[in-house]
Amino acid sequence: MIPQTEGADPPTAPTPPARRLPQGRREWLEFVFRFQSLFGLLAVFIAAIVFSPARNGELLFLTTENLANIVRSVSEIGIIAVGMTFVILIGGIDLSVGALVGLAASGVAVLLMERDYGVVPAVALVLLIGTAFGAVQGLISTRLAIQSFIVTLAGLQFARGLARIWSDGEGVPLAYGDGPGRAPDSFSVLNERLLGGLLPVPALIFVCVGAVAIFVLRRTTFSRHIYAIGGNERAARLSGVPVGRVKVAVFAISGFLAALAGIIHAGQLNQGSPNDGAGYELDAIAAVVIGGTSLMGGRGSVAGTLAGALLLGILNNILALNNVDANVQLLIKALVIVAAAALLTLRSTDE
Amino acid sequence: MHISMRSTLAVTAVCALAGFVGACGGDDEEGGGETQSSAQAKTCGPDGQYLIGMSQANNAEPYRERMNDDIEAAASNVPQFEVEFADAAQDNAKQVSDVENFLTQQIDLLIISPNEAAPLTAVVKKAYDQKIPVLVLDRKVEGDAYTGFIGGDNVQIGEKAGEYVANTLLPDGGNVVELRGLPGATPAKERADGFRAGIAGNPEVKITADAAGDWLREKGQQQFEAMLQANDDIDVVYAHNDPMAEGAYLAAKAAGREQEMKFIGIDALPIPSGGIKAVEEGRLSATFTYPTNGKEAIDAAKKILIDCGEVEKEQILSTQEITPENAAKVYADANAS
Repeated sequence: MIPQTEGADPPTAPTPPARRLPQGRREWLEFVFRFQSLFGLLAVFIAAIVFSPARNGELLFLTTENLANIVRSVSEIGIIAVGMTFVILIGGIDLSVGALVGLAASGVAVLLMERDYGVVPAVALVLLIGTAFGAVQGLISTRLAIQSFIVTLAGLQFARGLARIWSDGEGVPLAYGDGPGRAPDSFSVLNERLLGGLLPVPALIFVCVGAVAIFVLRRTTFSRHIYAIGGNERAARLSGVPVGRVKVAVFAISGFLAALAGIIHAGQLNQGSPNDGAGYELDAIAAVVIGGTSLMGGRGSVAGTLAGALLLGILNNILALNNVDANVQLLIKALVIVAAAALLTLRSTDE
Repeated sequence: MHISMRSTLAVTAVCALAGFVGACGGDDEEGGGETQSSAQAKTCGPDGQYLIGMSQANNAEPYRERMNDDIEAAASNVPQFEVEFADAAQDNAKQVSDVENFLTQQIDLLIISPNEAAPLTAVVKKAYDQKIPVLVLDRKVEGDAYTGFIGGDNVQIGEKAGEYVANTLLPDGGNVVELRGLPGATPAKERADGFRAGIAGNPEVKITADAAGDWLREKGQQQFEAMLQANDDIDVVYAHNDPMAEGAYLAAKAAGREQEMKFIGIDALPIPSGGIKAVEEGRLSATFTYPTNGKEAIDAAKKILIDCGEVEKEQILSTQEITPENAAKVYADANAS
């Protein structure tokens, strides 16, 4: 059986043979590789249960509060990583997302606190800025034929500088209430948990973003174009795919989602600082890679990225609950990233 | 639409997760420990074993490393205490997660030195509302949802520094350049405000430039390099902590201008790389002691958890001016004990 794949093949693949369980070692291996991110997630989840400390007769890892904390803690990186998936799928990279988080966080704080914007206009404007920033990066990359690595590296500096100018170089704490110099109460919903503490709002947004992205990447013409460009850009162009437009759109999506993550960041931390988000681009790339998306482009999925983000969140959590030394934690996380990437390489040589 | 294998797998995973959560999740019972409770702790008494979580802002700063060491040393004398440390590495979001994870571990008391005030207020309040005593060290959170604050009076330290500059270093006036700590951390604002009050008595002393060094030596050095380019006439460098002052000194030395100006810091750690030695060796003109509060924190924790007592809301520790006249003696005394 060829299961509905995570997106390695565009929906116009040849008709699959009749469904049956994998037979033989080779097919099982193939099966595991196809779902490497889900299997990885399950494995880490089980390991977390095994290694979970217990107090008063219950496993600390499995308390609903802890699981909610985990999803909340990966929400921002997860949202950014969804956008990063789109970019990496076309064979590009977006290094500016962390700085965009800082720009968006400090921007929305300045608008709410110092310019007395309402919540909806402030959020809309910041999202627009993020989208436009991404689109401009995409345009520069395609029109001037400069690699996205360089364009977004410059974009990173640019966004950081913009953020510092906009906020005068200082963080803007959010104080809620009515009247001037105060942010509307409704913005503080980003720091709340719904359903009696079960569902943190950022986690809800993360799940929604993920769901929409999975849909877009599996059911639309847009997604076929993305995979085509990532697989073989030349061939895609020759077969009529509007490569330039698709690329700009993809970077715009990445900018939009980075800005969204920045707004959530300000809401969760009650402060927007121009230096927020430093290094987030690397965490996002790690989630994408662990999720099975190839940095070469053309292969991967958002579902994998979601699994990758959750995997990193669970890993962080179980290391923290066991009070593993902070430096050792860094080593372990590095090993996990390399292991995931190695699996990916094994898989492509296997096929 | 046929049901894909991946969806099946996902559903199975979610069901397994739900099953586990249903079976194992649940409210924790109050187990072990004493049934006494004081106004400030859920359980207390000399017979219990207590887990204390210490959430540190940034282990990479020498002052904070010293704070951790002091806490660990003080706690080692208390058999009932087990202290776990977490390092946020100047990342507010990480520190929030650190505290959440401590709460998951059901700590009996939280000690926290928040990286910045606004981002950490909500999670500290969460702990406080769960009746877990919270001791805030050195940097404040907003509001008053904590059990006790232990720290120095940063405004007073800033004032003393200002007065030292206005009266001793620049009695005839001059240009001062300021290197600030991380802006969202309360000591930075307080040391800045206090300094301005301290120099107010001498109108000839002017602050001509300021930049944020974020408490870090490298950043202080970097910022000061830029300031050296932009300012020909600098008489005094006032840095909010010793590492930044040392960084500025290095930058000035590299430019060959270190003799033109005087450097002041704050912290005065009695370690070989600390401020007192720097004053002794002539790199800094003065520094001011800023206690790490480690011992005081454990004393307060003992009062709450073991003696079932109460601690004051604010415990302010005093500072001492370190100049070339007393530096050697203070250093020797501090290390003799």
